[in-house]
Amino acid sequence: VTSEGVTPTGSGWIPAFAHDEVGRDLSEVDWSTTPLGAPATWPQSLQTAVSILVSSRFSMWMAWGPQLTFFCNAAYRRDTLGRKYPWALGRPAREVWAEIWPDIGPRIESVLATGTATWDEALLLFLERSGYSEESYHTFSYSPLRDETGRVVGMLCVVSEETDRVIGERRMGTLRDLGSDPSIARTEREWLDFAGDRLARNRRDLPFTMTYLFQSDGRAQLAGATGFGRLPADEVGHAWPAVAAARGEAVLTDLDPAMPAGDWAEGPQQALVVPLLQQGAPPFGFFVTGLNRYRPLDQGYRGFVELAAGHVAAGIAGARSYQAQLRRAEELAELDRAKTTFFSNVSHEFRTPLSLIVGPVQSLLDRPGVPDEGMRDELELIKRNGLRLGKLVNTLLDFSRIEAGRMQAQFEPADLAAATTELTSVFRSAIEKAGLAFVVDCPPLPRPVALDRSLWEKVVLNLLSNALKFTFDGGITVRLRADGEYAELGVADTGIGIAAEELPRLFERFHRIENARSRSNEGSGIGLALVLELVNLHGGTVTADSTLGHGTTLTVRVPFAPEGTRITAQSGPTALSATADPFLQEALRWVPAAPEPVGYTAAAGVASRVLVVDDNADMRDYLTRLLATAGHRVSTAADGEAALDAVRADEPDLVISDVMMPRLDGLHFVAALRADARTASIPVILLSARAGQEASIEGLDSGADDYLVKPFSAAELVARVRANIELAQVRTHHARWRAALVDSLQEAFFIADEDGTIVEINAAFARILGFGPDGLPYAPPHPWWPDARTDPDGHQAMAEAFASADHQTRARFTLPVTHRDGHRVWVAVALSLVSNPDTGDKVIVGTFRDITAEHYAIQRESALSTLSTRLSEADSLTEALAAALDELRSRWPATAVRAVVFDRHGRPSLMSTGPHQDWGDLTDQQRAALTAVREQPLLAPIVDPRAGGPVVCLEHPEGLLALSLEVSAHRPFTTEDQTLLALLAAHLGQGLHRVHQIHQQRETALALQRAILGPAHLPDGFVVRYEPATRPLQVGGDWYDAVTLADGRIGIVVGDCVGRGLEAATIMGQLRSACRALLLKDPRPDEVLTGLDRFADGLPGAACTTVFCGVFDPASRCLTYASAGHPPGILVDPDGSVHLLDGANSLPLAVQAGTRHSPARVTIAARATLLLYTDGLVERRGTSIDAGIRHVADIVRDSRHISIHELAARVMTHRTPPDGYVDDVAMLVYRHPAPLQVAFPADANQLAPVRHALRHWLSECALPTELIQDVLVAAGEACANAIEHGHRHRPDGTIRLVAEAATDRLTVQVTDTGEWKEPEPSLHRGRGLALMRAVMHHVTVTPGPDGTVVTMDTRITP
Amino acid sequence: MTTMTVDVPGEGELVVRGEIDMSNSAEFAGAIDTALGDSGGSGPLTVDLTAVEYLDSAGIHVLLTRASRIVVVTSPLLLPVLTICGLPQVTSVRCVDD
Repeated sequence: VTSEGVTPTGSGWIPAFAHDEVGRDLSEVDWSTTPLGAPATWPQSLQTAVSILVSSRFSMWMAWGPQLTFFCNAAYRRDTLGRKYPWALGRPAREVWAEIWPDIGPRIESVLATGTATWDEALLLFLERSGYSEESYHTFSYSPLRDETGRVVGMLCVVSEETDRVIGERRMGTLRDLGSDPSIARTEREWLDFAGDRLARNRRDLPFTMTYLFQSDGRAQLAGATGFGRLPADEVGHAWPAVAAARGEAVLTDLDPAMPAGDWAEGPQQALVVPLLQQGAPPFGFFVTGLNRYRPLDQGYRGFVELAAGHVAAGIAGARSYQAQLRRAEELAELDRAKTTFFSNVSHEFRTPLSLIVGPVQSLLDRPGVPDEGMRDELELIKRNGLRLGKLVNTLLDFSRIEAGRMQAQFEPADLAAATTELTSVFRSAIEKAGLAFVVDCPPLPRPVALDRSLWEKVVLNLLSNALKFTFDGGITVRLRADGEYAELGVADTGIGIAAEELPRLFERFHRIENARSRSNEGSGIGLALVLELVNLHGGTVTADSTLGHGTTLTVRVPFAPEGTRITAQSGPTALSATADPFLQEALRWVPAAPEPVGYTAAAGVASRVLVVDDNADMRDYLTRLLATAGHRVSTAADGEAALDAVRADEPDLVISDVMMPRLDGLHFVAALRADARTASIPVILLSARAGQEASIEGLDSGADDYLVKPFSAAELVARVRANIELAQVRTHHARWRAALVDSLQEAFFIADEDGTIVEINAAFARILGFGPDGLPYAPPHPWWPDARTDPDGHQAMAEAFASADHQTRARFTLPVTHRDGHRVWVAVALSLVSNPDTGDKVIVGTFRDITAEHYAIQRESALSTLSTRLSEADSLTEALAAALDELRSRWPATAVRAVVFDRHGRPSLMSTGPHQDWGDLTDQQRAALTAVREQPLLAPIVDPRAGGPVVCLEHPEGLLALSLEVSAHRPFTTEDQTLLALLAAHLGQGLHRVHQIHQQRETALALQRAILGPAHLPDGFVVRYEPATRPLQVGGDWYDAVTLADGRIGIVVGDCVGRGLEAATIMGQLRSACRALLLKDPRPDEVLTGLDRFADGLPGAACTTVFCGVFDPASRCLTYASAGHPPGILVDPDGSVHLLDGANSLPLAVQAGTRHSPARVTIAARATLLLYTDGLVERRGTSIDAGIRHVADIVRDSRHISIHELAARVMTHRTPPDGYVDDVAMLVYRHPAPLQVAFPADANQLAPVRHALRHWLSECALPTELIQDVLVAAGEACANAIEHGHRHRPDGTIRLVAEAATDRLTVQVTDTGEWKEPEPSLHRGRGLALMRAVMHHVTVTPGPDGTVVTMDTRITP
Repeated sequence: MTTMTVDVPGEGELVVRGEIDMSNSAEFAGAIDTALGDSGGSGPLTVDLTAVEYLDSAGIHVLLTRASRIVVVTSPLLLPVLTICGLPQVTSVRCVDD
């Protein structure tokens, strides 16, 4: 508590009172009326004590002075004082705590008298602080308070109230007691007594209790009470609100004060009535408790009473349910006893008729001369089954005896090893027939065992029989050992094993493990239970140890006879046969003596085929005989699984099946048949030993057509079989017709369900793919699909084909499949999606047509044609070989294809697909394989693992070619592949030779053309291009010529002979020579053409040649020209205007005798560009020649600012058709003036002549005077620099000056061969460089190791 | 061979014709210096370049190193070069039309 907000009031306030509410109230006490007087007068000791008290947050009160005046702090007020505050402040303590003064007064007296502190823990005090006398508990200490003189004048009490803790623990104790051990109370009475005892221990919270239970008539009956000396009369119950309690309500009710008070002085004033609730039903009754009058009925108290009642109710429920269970168990035991007695009686009743069956049968068998084998078989059958029945009856009898305690065991000291070994020998034949190993390890034991031999026989025989029944591979081991006071017999098998959760119930009677795979489903589940009982009779134990799937070991331990006992029991084969024989006979029937014939028994004529399914071999034999006699062909199966396989492989006309069978029982077998469309209609007759309507309904429900209960009469069976077959035949007539139709198809036919699982196929299917009906159903991916690993594409294609059938009504594909024997079959697949009109189910109906032969033929054709095409496109051997390798690689497909050419000297050179490889990069093995194949016959592929696939050798124009394909190891190299590779190799060889020949021809032609095409040296200012036609690459008849004539003029010629190849080139050469000769003789273009016309007239093949001939005078810039049918030249002025030189056109050469050629003239402006060409440049399929000319003119116009070298390249590039030029092209470009090129010695005296030459050239360029002067100055400075610095140490060096003018730009380049350091400070040469930069637009100085190049250019503005 | 002719029409006046480059700049310098010596320092020498067709940086160097004692008369042809080299800033350069 803080002082904030609390204002000290009243005159009596002193600092000791602190600033809280208690302090304020203390200050308001009229202290003058107390012995202590006004606070201001209080001694320091009192003030200090009050100060400590008030400021403490621990609960305290104190008393001071002669009247023990009362003080307390806020904590005490809150915890303890209750309504007495603030009245208590300043009062004498005796008044304040008057009600407990008898308890505390003496303690206070003692403190004041002795000065020694007191200590009380959880003292019960009845406080009157809440308006009633309240049970409360306090832990406190009184300690003395002294004044300044050391006299004890008061006391301080430090207290903590523990009421809640004490009462809480008390109630918890009661609840704990009630829940402690309910198991002791087995009846309702016992429980109520127990609960009453516990409730009575808490007489403070529960002064009295009464437990009422509702009776069946709804009346509440007092069933228990506490707190009363004597159980009260029943009438008391009528006073309670029973109706509300029956509704599940708790009710508080006022009491007569006369009720028991429990631990208190006065009885309770109220009682709480709470229902005894039970889950899901009306309350059992109600619980009444008197309430402690010294405590309020708060939530804690009410909760406690309800929990206590809950415990009582739970106990009642437990007791009642225990009683119910007990009654049920007793009823069951009674039933069991009755059953045993019944079994016992019935078994006895069985024995007599059984003896009368087996006995006479045996005597019949023993009688000499039993006529026929068949009858003997049947008698054996009767005897065997009689024995089996006898064995079962005997076992049941044994149980009955044991149950009834009447088993009379005859114990004799016996040699257990000998007895056991003897028994095992009985079973050896059966176990070995089953193909199992049988190990008997029974060494003599040190002491005899007290044994009833007949019972021990049953133990061992049951164990062995059990092991054999569940073991299919491996073996059975019998091991006998001494282990202390016990002999231990272990029978271990390697059978199916037992699941861990089944082990605990293994020895339970009639417990059988469901669905366990066994040799026979027969058996009653009684064998091991009997073993346990019999071993117990011997004072021994049986344990089982098993791992599912690995086997089971059963271990029997029986005690040895006491030390010194002598063996008295006799052993002998006669003694055991009677018991052992039925075991052996039964076991032998599980193990077929000889493999049963597979397939149907022979019968005359068109007999019906019946499949008999039964796990009992005798029953199978019997039914087979019966039905065969009736004229059917019979096949058998031992369980449902085997039967399903048999049915799917070869559909019978009727199935007779047992119901109880291992693996797959009859009901599930029928269900499986019905679930499969192909077998759904086969009639099935079920046979069962289980009689009764329910069993037969279950059988018919599963889909069986008929149901026969064992035992059945032979005649009835035969009649029903016949009836069912006839009925089915009527029903299936249509289906048979359809089946016959489908089987007659030559194409593989199949039906698949919607998910692609193939459920029906015809005979052709099995023939084409090798997969027959015995493998049905075939779920996708079907086994004939191409392997997903080696042929992922094929696999994918097949998967997609089937997937597409889902949403497409018809689909056709050609796909590879794999025959069962591994060879590849190509099939044409047709798939249709159809609906079953009855069920609406979708099925896929499809056919496969074998097109393997066609496929390979087509493949060969396609491979050859592709290879031919690719070879024909190649221009060189290398190109051809690369194309062929690529084709081979994708054809197979191969991971790599390599070709090695061994030249005449045997030197190898390698070419391969993929990354570049050299001969040296190959492995030794690869090199060996490629080298060795040269020894093979040509064109005969062999597979060489060293090369990773097939290798083949063929001829190459330069030697021998070894070819290797590296193919996937999973991809077999088939005969078809071999044929194809040989074919392709041969084709490749021929192709290479052809390419080689063509290549040689062309090389020759090109060399020739280059020789005759044009001058080796052209006059300055000309750039020429010749481009042969691309495909086929051939020489042509186009030419150009430019020759400087005697008078300084230049003759220009561009011509085009018709045709291509060597012939055209030859004619072109002659025309070109003639034209040049004519020009030199008379430089008039029209006369040249006239002369050439005459020349061509006498030259076969020269007719129709077109020629453009011109003579250019550089001085006057005048071009005189004439054209013989040639496309016009293009002239582009510096300002971009285009002129076509079409002013002097006449007919091509040698077309018409006496053709007149007249000249035309044109002045070529300075820096104009002239372009002459042949029609290959401008002719394009689909567009006019004019459009081509316009396009070329546009290119020239747009390129007039760049050098003519670049211009020529640009024209050729821009005009190149996508697949190259189809016709050859000759082109000639001239720009006037030609670039100036001067070379001069590094001598200052050369500056003037160079300058004069440059001045002359610049004037030809038709430039403004100022520009000429600028260029002269800049070039002069560059030359002076070159002389002065570049050649300071090499005066013999040469300087070159080149000047070239484009339309709007002029470039000067000065190159020296020396070192050219710049700028050298403070010399006038530095000024020279500045001058160059000032007058030219752009100057670069590029020093290099061989000299310095100064390049300058400037713009030409018109 | 670069050709240049020098004329002295009167005292304090020098008329040059032809071309001046590195090969004859020494000759050009000599001609000016002679004329300067003859005039005896009475006044600046007028160098008339109106008939010079070509003048390179070697020639300008000659003019610049004697700028305090000469005045230059030129045609428009040479004016840009002389201006670029800053001659008008150190002496009088007079341009006359042809």
